[in-house]
Amino acid sequence: MNAAQQKLQQGALSIQDVSKIYDPDGTAVEALSHCSLEIAAGEIYMVLGPSGCGKTTLLNAVAGFHPVSSGRILLDGEVLCNDKTPQAQQNSDRMVVFQNGALFPWKTLLDNVSYGPIVQKRLSPKEAREKAEALLREAGLIDISHKYPGEISSGMARRAEIVRALINEPKVLLLDEPYRAMDALTKAIMHENLLKMYELNPVTIFFITHDLEEAVFLGHKVAIMTTRPATVKEVIPIDLPYPRDHRVLSSEPFRLQVQRVKASVRSEAEKAFAAGEKELA
Amino acid sequence: MPDISPSLSNPSLLSRFWFHTRRNISNPHLYLGLLGIACFGFLYYLFTEGWPLPRFEKLPGPVAVFTEWFSPDPMWGISIYSEEYYQHIWASVRRVGIALLIATGLGVPLGLLMGWSKVFKDYSFPVLELLRPIPVLAWVPLAILMFNDTETPVIFLATLASFYITVLNTMLGVESINPNFIRAAACLGSKPHHLFLHVILPGALPFIFTGLQISVGISWFSLVAAEMVSGQYGLGYLILNSYTSVTYETIVIIMMTLGLVGYASSALVRFVGRQLMQWQARALALENR
Ligand SMILES: Nc1ncnc2c1ncn2[C@@H]1O[C@H](COP(=O)(O)OP(=O)(O)OP(=O)(O)O)[C@@H](O)[C@H]1O
Ligand SMILES: [Mg+2]
Repeated sequence: MNAAQQKLQQGALSIQDVSKIYDPDGTAVEALSHCSLEIAAGEIYMVLGPSGCGKTTLLNAVAGFHPVSSGRILLDGEVLCNDKTPQAQQNSDRMVVFQNGALFPWKTLLDNVSYGPIVQKRLSPKEAREKAEALLREAGLIDISHKYPGEISSGMARRAEIVRALINEPKVLLLDEPYRAMDALTKAIMHENLLKMYELNPVTIFFITHDLEEAVFLGHKVAIMTTRPATVKEVIPIDLPYPRDHRVLSSEPFRLQVQRVKASVRSEAEKAFAAGEKELA
Repeated sequence: MPDISPSLSNPSLLSRFWFHTRRNISNPHLYLGLLGIACFGFLYYLFTEGWPLPRFEKLPGPVAVFTEWFSPDPMWGISIYSEEYYQHIWASVRRVGIALLIATGLGVPLGLLMGWSKVFKDYSFPVLELLRPIPVLAWVPLAILMFNDTETPVIFLATLASFYITVLNTMLGVESINPNFIRAAACLGSKPHHLFLHVILPGALPFIFTGLQISVGISWFSLVAAEMVSGQYGLGYLILNSYTSVTYETIVIIMMTLGLVGYASSALVRFVGRQLMQWQARALALENR
């Protein structure tokens, strides 16, 4: 437990026995099978699983983008969805950062970031812009805040999207492989930046990835998912103190943690490979 | 990521205009284009005046046309010095302008609605697809029956084809929007009217302008046809009128005028589109397109 986390009272996410079957009457693709996760308020919770196992499916159920087939999801003890109302309400208490990025290309970074508080009428347009500027400054984006997403690198865009989520003070930040397809060097910079943003704006983070070292470097806990239909195989607490920076990567404890996770993941990766799941690195 | 200095990151209208002009002037495409026009002009001269081919004998050549066009005292009444010339141009430009305003004003909302609501699309799309293949000229008699003045039928006909194109492109524009933008907007707490104003409309805008670009051409096309059938003014009317009064130079003058005015109107649409979609223009500029 670090200081940032202890301040936090809100954002405990409880996923209980959730299953999801796509197209139950037709081809019936079972994506999630009796998935259960307990995520404490303020935790960085990494969900690690092979390609196509059902990670995005789980995130979409939490965000309320589609209904679950059975099970329930609670946020701070309040039911988001259950068997009676299988689809959660979409709400700004759970902010999503999408796998392929979803900044509005027709708005500048500043307008993208200030959009949420303005439409929710939480802040006046002027206040929203001031707050957006402050957050963009924290994230090192203030110099490009007047640019459009199409003009900046994907790393910058991803940072801005996280800022756009954080400005709404969500209880949970849902990140769907935000750093996929980035080179290792950029990733390392993005990771440190994310941890810094987290220190400044503590929030529960539900982070999907299939990058093992990313999971160990960032997370308080790593949940390892099986191949499709996904269920939780094992939850491994990561015993490395925060604040973490790039030096952690070359330390012995880090190496041991990675090995521990690798051993658990390996058998799943082999199963996925044997099942011929398409590799989407 | 190329670095653009802060002063350039939010350029004024004027400086953008200069930027584009300078870039166009230093562009070989411009000179190749001019060379192409010169070649075409030379062939035109060769076959009609220099060394007339039997088939082209009756056509007025470029020398005759340009002499007439720029004459302060034109033989047949139409040149850049005659007031009548501009009255005809204005009559047509005005009709195309009104037609485009109506086509856009009705077509964009209808297209947005069709892209937005699956049910509404199911109702309206078949009707549109059945009406669309009917050539505009087939509407002439009904247009004249419906509106018993001379002006309205012409505008009606010029509107029709542009309207279909605007509706279809707007609908495609809405359907092309990445569904994650809509999800993101919902997460961020958008009410339906925010979603419409900040996501659907700007997301569809590139398609709307592609449609508008085509509409302008189609609108001129239908207009000239309509003016030949009904109308007492306008460039189409003047072409037919010159034919019956055997003033062939005037026909070619008007044809060239149509080319110029048509080009100018689509350039204007492109310009407005670029202003409204800076986000796209700048991203494309970075890719050197
Ligand atoms: N709408 C759908 N209808 C039917 N099957 C689907 C649908 N969406 C996803 N699937 C299937 O469900 C499985 C899980 O998909 P999901 O996108 O959740 O995987 P993922 O773990 O996020 O994969 P990736 O690593 O590729 O992002 C996949 O086999 C996919 O083909
Ligand atoms: Mg996914």
